[in-house]
Amino acid sequence: MRTVSVDTSVDGRLDVVLRGELDFTNASQVAKVVKEAIISGRPSSVRVRLAEVTFLDSSGIGLLVRAMKAADEVGADFRVEDPTDKVLDQLRMSGLLEAFGLAQPPADT
Amino acid sequence: MTTDGHQGYLRRLAELEAQIGSARLSADVVCERAAGLLAGRIGCRIDEALAHIRTVAAQQDKDVETVAAAMISALETRQVTPSVRLRRSAEEVLRVAHQAPKPRQRHRPAVSVDDAAPGWAAVVQQVLDAMPGNHIVLVGIRDDAGELVDYRLVAVSRTLVDLSGTAGSRLIGRRVSETYPTIVGGPVWQAWADALADGQQRQVGPFPYVHRDDEQASEHLLSVRVQPVGPGLLNSWVRFDEQTRLAERIAQTERLGNLGWGEWDLVTDATVWSDEMYRIYERDPADGPLPREESDALGLPEDEPLRRQAAEAFGRGETIDLTARAMIKGKVKHLRAVIDAVRDVDGRPVKIYGIIQDVTAREMSRLKLAEVQEELRAQQQSLLAEHRLAAHLQHIVLPIPDGPIELDGLRAAVRYLPAEQASRVGGDWYHAAAAGDGTIVLAVGDVAGHGLQAAATMAQLRHALAALAVTTTSDPADLLTHLNRLLYAADAETGTAAVARFDPATHDLAWARAGHPAPLLARAGTVTELSDRPGPLLGAIRRATYDTSTTRLDPGDVLLLYTDGLIEHRSRTLDEGLAPVLAVLGRVTAEPGPPPLETLLGALRRANPDDDTCILAARRHIEAPPAAPGARHG
Repeated sequence: MRTVSVDTSVDGRLDVVLRGELDFTNASQVAKVVKEAIISGRPSSVRVRLAEVTFLDSSGIGLLVRAMKAADEVGADFRVEDPTDKVLDQLRMSGLLEAFGLAQPPADT
Repeated sequence: MTTDGHQGYLRRLAELEAQIGSARLSADVVCERAAGLLAGRIGCRIDEALAHIRTVAAQQDKDVETVAAAMISALETRQVTPSVRLRRSAEEVLRVAHQAPKPRQRHRPAVSVDDAAPGWAAVVQQVLDAMPGNHIVLVGIRDDAGELVDYRLVAVSRTLVDLSGTAGSRLIGRRVSETYPTIVGGPVWQAWADALADGQQRQVGPFPYVHRDDEQASEHLLSVRVQPVGPGLLNSWVRFDEQTRLAERIAQTERLGNLGWGEWDLVTDATVWSDEMYRIYERDPADGPLPREESDALGLPEDEPLRRQAAEAFGRGETIDLTARAMIKGKVKHLRAVIDAVRDVDGRPVKIYGIIQDVTAREMSRLKLAEVQEELRAQQQSLLAEHRLAAHLQHIVLPIPDGPIELDGLRAAVRYLPAEQASRVGGDWYHAAAAGDGTIVLAVGDVAGHGLQAAATMAQLRHALAALAVTTTSDPADLLTHLNRLLYAADAETGTAAVARFDPATHDLAWARAGHPAPLLARAGTVTELSDRPGPLLGAIRRATYDTSTTRLDPGDVLLLYTDGLIEHRSRTLDEGLAPVLAVLGRVTAEPGPPPLETLLGALRRANPDDDTCILAARRHIEAPPAAPGARHG
């Protein structure tokens, strides 16, 4: 199974699906693929689906950051979707839930 | 053999021997052969083996050739070459060839030859045993009136297996009408009668022959040559389908294996090449085989020593197996030649035949493979050098103190566990020093990635933090904001960090974090995660902001900052990874008296040995008891 697949939908949205373990062994290659797709496709928005990702290390998070920066460069909206609970924990620790569009609606305090 | 032919043969033999002889006499060949054997035996390079032979010669004060020859006799384990076997089979063929052709004799068969000459049948069987091909010898069976009514098989080639699968030896003695009923009355049947009548040879076919086996019938294309022999008839059978298949199979094998086959008859000076041989030498079959002088000239001069060694081996009666290069139509081809000879009783070659295989593709891929391996080795070396440099750089940038670090109101200790794989050493760092305003700044951080790039980024962050803390601010959130800008601008890696500030005057502890695990505060066996809203990791968002939270540090409280190698593991959740850390921290701080930091750090086990781990523990001093004990009570 491929670690990454990239599809452009009709309304100019780029759908990126990531799978398996994203770590120092593959992150830079995957980042390259995703970044190139964003820079060359100039989509209006980028969605990264993490439902099938089982593990992210710091390099894996770094890859999401690079994708976010690339989306920012072409002015595309950037969202990360469907992380598992474990991956969500890691993203929460990275402080990027808001930037990735994963923040809970503001809770009453 | 004509006199001319014989002289030609002797001349060609003399030429061949001269070639072999010149090769044998060459000192170079002896040395190279010895070096080759030595290299093969001890697994060194040939030039190293040659150097060794020269050294030995110098030590023993002998000439190199003598030492080489001695070495050859010591090292050489002579292989049993197939030449003896080949010679024997060749002799057999030649013997049979002399026996086989029978003069066309007019011969009137005697009446009732059926049982006439059992001794004759046995001799014929011996002849058939020595002859290649599928032959059957029949004798006629006549009735009382002398009319031919049937035929009996009296000798059959051992290798013959008929269409019903019956082997030759089991067919002897059978009647044709019983064994092959479809032949009765057919063209072959007629040819037998005619041949017996006039003693002339007959050729029948190719004709379709219907073979019945139980219910099955199959048709085969056969031809037979009928030759009157003594009182009987020698039938030489050829199955065309089989022969065609065999020829096709050989041709296909040649093509698949890039194999060509050639033969040089020294007696007749005739050279024969197979089709694939023409393809290998890119020559039109109409032009005939390449003259030997021309094909010898195709060899690359660099391979001359190899060819001379091979010629020498051939002279000793060995089979040559040589891979050398030839320049064919402007291209270099690697050709493997397996060459052997049919020799006469004195061991002189009569016929030389060789199988030539074009191994260019294999040789090229072998060479490419060697190149790739060399590149790989070079790359691995440079990677290794990079890892060493990264570890070295980290050591320079991040010297880990042997003992505790004494600070105002705090004692701190650091433990750094480098990744078990050298390649993953990289980006963890710590900071524990007084800031410009007299407060104490404690921090740990982690740069994504490993190797030289990560180590360089780590150095940048650590030095920036140290400088900022002295010159600009000690506020944890402000420090992180600066570090984020720095890393974002560098557009290299991302990083995480947790920064804490202890004010020795107020005992306030402020902290902030950027994508980093929460600091842990342990107080007398109770551990609290200093969780807050974590700010984004460093270098991800241009205008990221961070929040500073505050708490108090009581005497004996232990603050633990660490990087994620301590708790992160791909098969566990972060909470699962954190649990053993909390347990150790709780246990160590529950003991009465000031918790020993070294014990604490030594007891912590990291979750992920594949990652760097950096742990910084700080304990607030327990102030000396007031001068008047119990003064505060009341």
